[in-house]
Amino acid sequence: MKLRHLKKIRIGVSLLIFALLLLFFLGIEREWLNAASTLLLRLQLIPSILRFLALFFTVSGLGFLLILVLTFLFGRVYCSSICPLGTLQDIFIAAGGRFKSKKKRRFSYSAGSNNILRYSILAATVILWLFGSLFLVNLLDPYSNFGKISVSFMQPAFIFLNNKLALLFERFHIYSIAPLEVKTLPLNVLMVSGVILLTIAGLSLWRGRLFCNTLCPAGSVLSLVSRHSLYKITFKDDACTLCGKCERVCKAECLDSRTKTIDHSRCISCFNCFTACSNDALHYSRLKPSPIARNKEDKAPDKGKRNFLLTLAAGTLSVPLLKNASLAQDLGRPGSIPTGTATPVTPPGSLSFERFTNNCIACYLCVGACPTNVIVPSFFDYGLEGFMQPKLDYHKSFCNFDCVKCTEVCPTGAITRQTPQEKQAIQVGIAHFVQESCIVTIDRTDCGACSEHCPTKAVHMVDWEGLRIPEVRPEICVGCGACEYACPTQPNKAIFVESNPVHLEAVPIQESEGPRDEVLDDFPF
Amino acid sequence: MDRRNFLRKGFIYTSLAGLYASTLGRIPLLALQRPSVPSIGNYDLVAVRGGEPEAMYKRAMQEMGGMQRFVKRGQRVVVKPNIGWDVPSDRAGNTNPGLVAAIVRDCLAAGASRVFVFDNTCDNWQRCYQNSGIEDAVKKAGGQMVPGNLERYYRAVNILGGKRLTSAKVHEQLLDADVFINVPVLKHHGSTTVTVAMKNLMGVVWDRRYWHRNDLHQCIADFCTFRKPDLNIVDAYLVMTQNGPKGTSTADLSLMKSLLVSTDIVAVDAASTLIFGAQPENIGHIRIANEMKIGKMNLSSLNIKRVAV
Repeated sequence: MKLRHLKKIRIGVSLLIFALLLLFFLGIEREWLNAASTLLLRLQLIPSILRFLALFFTVSGLGFLLILVLTFLFGRVYCSSICPLGTLQDIFIAAGGRFKSKKKRRFSYSAGSNNILRYSILAATVILWLFGSLFLVNLLDPYSNFGKISVSFMQPAFIFLNNKLALLFERFHIYSIAPLEVKTLPLNVLMVSGVILLTIAGLSLWRGRLFCNTLCPAGSVLSLVSRHSLYKITFKDDACTLCGKCERVCKAECLDSRTKTIDHSRCISCFNCFTACSNDALHYSRLKPSPIARNKEDKAPDKGKRNFLLTLAAGTLSVPLLKNASLAQDLGRPGSIPTGTATPVTPPGSLSFERFTNNCIACYLCVGACPTNVIVPSFFDYGLEGFMQPKLDYHKSFCNFDCVKCTEVCPTGAITRQTPQEKQAIQVGIAHFVQESCIVTIDRTDCGACSEHCPTKAVHMVDWEGLRIPEVRPEICVGCGACEYACPTQPNKAIFVESNPVHLEAVPIQESEGPRDEVLDDFPF
Repeated sequence: MDRRNFLRKGFIYTSLAGLYASTLGRIPLLALQRPSVPSIGNYDLVAVRGGEPEAMYKRAMQEMGGMQRFVKRGQRVVVKPNIGWDVPSDRAGNTNPGLVAAIVRDCLAAGASRVFVFDNTCDNWQRCYQNSGIEDAVKKAGGQMVPGNLERYYRAVNILGGKRLTSAKVHEQLLDADVFINVPVLKHHGSTTVTVAMKNLMGVVWDRRYWHRNDLHQCIADFCTFRKPDLNIVDAYLVMTQNGPKGTSTADLSLMKSLLVSTDIVAVDAASTLIFGAQPENIGHIRIANEMKIGKMNLSSLNIKRVAV
C-alpha cells in the first residue's frame, strides 16, 4: 500500500468515529449506535484509565492499554483518529483553510516543543487527580471537552431543528417525529463550554494541533510513548529534494524539512506529509532513522521525560502546602461543607459523593442521555475540585424510578451500572416534609402532588383536620425527587430531598401476589 | 316564475326537505342499525360488570346507542385516556390499552376523520406512552398518538364558569376537536381519595401545579364548566385501591371487572366512587360539581342501565 493513501484512511476513520460519538451525544437511540459508541468510549484514553481504577481493574477499562500499545507501535494515531476533539480540530482547520489565503494556510516547523509547559500541565493534572480532584482533567481532557461542547451546543441545536421539523409535520397531523424537551444548561456552564470551544477553535485555526501538544493531558501522556514508537515517520535522504511541502501540511508543526527531522513526541501521525511529498521521500517503518536524526536524538537527553518527572516530584511535594493555603476552602469535602447547605444529589449508582467526584470527568454524556433531564451540570456545588460535575436537580425534573440510562452510558465508572431492580433499592437522598410551608396547612385545601408522584409511596397522605397531608416513610424513600419537583409551593418547596453523601439502601417494594379478586356481584347503586 | 309561485314552491320544497330530515332521514337509518333495541341511548348511565374490558365496552355502547350517536362522519375525535404513569398495563396505573384501542376503532368505524389520543403525563411522556401499551394499541387501531410534552401544544382559554380556575392553557387537539371522549381508569388517590373522569381532565392542561396551589377540588370542578366530555367511559376492570394514583405493585389492585359509560361526568364519577367503596358526597370535587350543576351526583334520580355480561 502506498503511504500517501494513509491520510485518506485516517480521515475516513476519524470522521466515522467522530460522527458515531456525536450522534450518541445527541441522544439518538439505536441499538447499533449504542454498541458502537460504547466500544469507542472504552478506547478514550483518560476515561478508560479512570474506569480501570474505579471499577477495580475491570477488563472493560483496559482500552487505555490498547491505546498505549497502538501508540508504541505506530505513534499517536489516537490523536488523529480516535480522539473526537482531535477530529473537531481538524474540521476547524479544514474549514478555516477555506477562508485563508494559500500562504496563511501553511504550517511551519516550530522549534519550541513546549515541553516544560505541557509536562507541567500533565504533572499538575496528575497530582490534583492523586489528591482527589479531577479539576484539570475536567477542563483539559479532550474527550470530556468534546462531550461538553456536544451537550452544551450541538444537542440543543439538534433538538431545535428536530422540533421545527416535528412542527412542520404536525401541520399535516403527522406525529412520527417526537418533539423533545429543550435542554438548556445553566448560563455559567454554557459560558465555560463556550470558552473551551472558542479556545479549541482559536488554537486550531492559529496553529493546527497546538492544543494537543500543549494543554492536552492525553496528548502529553501519549507523547511520552510516541518518542519510542516502533514505526516512525522518517526521511529518505537520497529522495528528498528539500521542497518543504511536507512541513507546510504538518498540523503538529513538528516536522523540520530543512534538517529533515521530526519531533516524534509531537507528531500525531496524521500522515499529511506522506500525501504532500511528491518524491516518496518519507518512510513509515521500523527502519532505523536517518543518521542525522539519530545522532541528534542520541546526544540530546530526553528532556521531556526529565521535565515530567521533575515537575511531578515538585508538584507532589507542594500539594500539601496548596491544600493548607488558598485552595483549602474551595476544595470542600462532604464533611467540610457548612451544615445547612445541602450537598448535591449524585446520580444513582455513583455510590457516594466522594467516589463520584473522584471519578467524574464532566463529559455530560449522562446529562445528554437523561430522558427526564434531571441530571444537570453544577458549577461550584461540589467545590472547586468538582467544578462542572453533574448533579440531580429536582427543581427541573425528577429521576424516573425505572430508568437506568445514566448508569449505562457513564464511561469512567463514576456512575456504576445498575439493573432497574438494583437501582430501585438505592437511596440517593431522603425526602423531608416542611409542614409549615405546605399548601394543606396554610390554605387548608387538599393537594397531594408530592405523594401522587412518589413511586414507592414513601411520601403518603394521612388524615389531618379533615384534609389529607403528606407524611414521609424514610426507610422506603429512594430520594428520586418526584415529590420535590411536583410540589407546587413557591418560591420554596414544602418537601425536598436531602442528599445522602454516601448512598444507602432503601427497603425495596415487596413482591406482589397479584390483584385481589373482588369481581362485583352487583352494583352498589 | 312570479313571486307568488316562487314563494309557494319554496315553501313546499322546504317543508318536504324538513319533513325528510326530521323523520324519513333518521328513522330508517336507526331502524336499520339496531332494530331490536328500542330504548337506545335513553340512559343517563350504563354500568356493565363481569366481562373483559372490550366486551364490556361493546355491550355498554350498544346500550348507549352506539358510537354513531356521538361521532358523526368526518368529525375529529379526541380520546383522552389516563397515560400519566410509567407503569406496564398490568399495574392499572393507566387506562387499559385494549379498551382505548376498541374506542378508537369504534370512532373510526362511525366515520371519524381522525382520532387523536394524548395525555399530559406525570412521568416522562415517551416512557408512559410506550410502557403503558397505549401507544402501540392506538396506532394499531388506526388512531394517532399526539404528544403533550411541550407548552407549544397548549392554548390559553378563559374559563368563564370557574370560581378559582378562571383561565388555563388547554391542549390544542382538545380545543380543535368535534368530539371529546374521556376514558379514565378508576383509581385510589392519596389526596382526593379517588380519581375518575373529572380528575382525568387534569391531563389536558399545561399547568397542573396551579390547580394544586389554588384549591384542587374547586379547580377540578371549575374546568368542567369549560368543556365537558361528550362521553365518559370509566375503566374499572382492575381498580387500584391503595397507593394511588401510580401504585407500587399489583398488590395495590383489585379485580372488579366493571365499566361505566355516561354523558354526565358527575354521575359517572359518583357511580365509580361507590364501586371504589367511598361516598361521592365525601369527595370534594364531586360534591362541588354537583352543587355547580355540572352534573348529577344523586344516582337515584337517574335512569341507569345495569348489565352483567
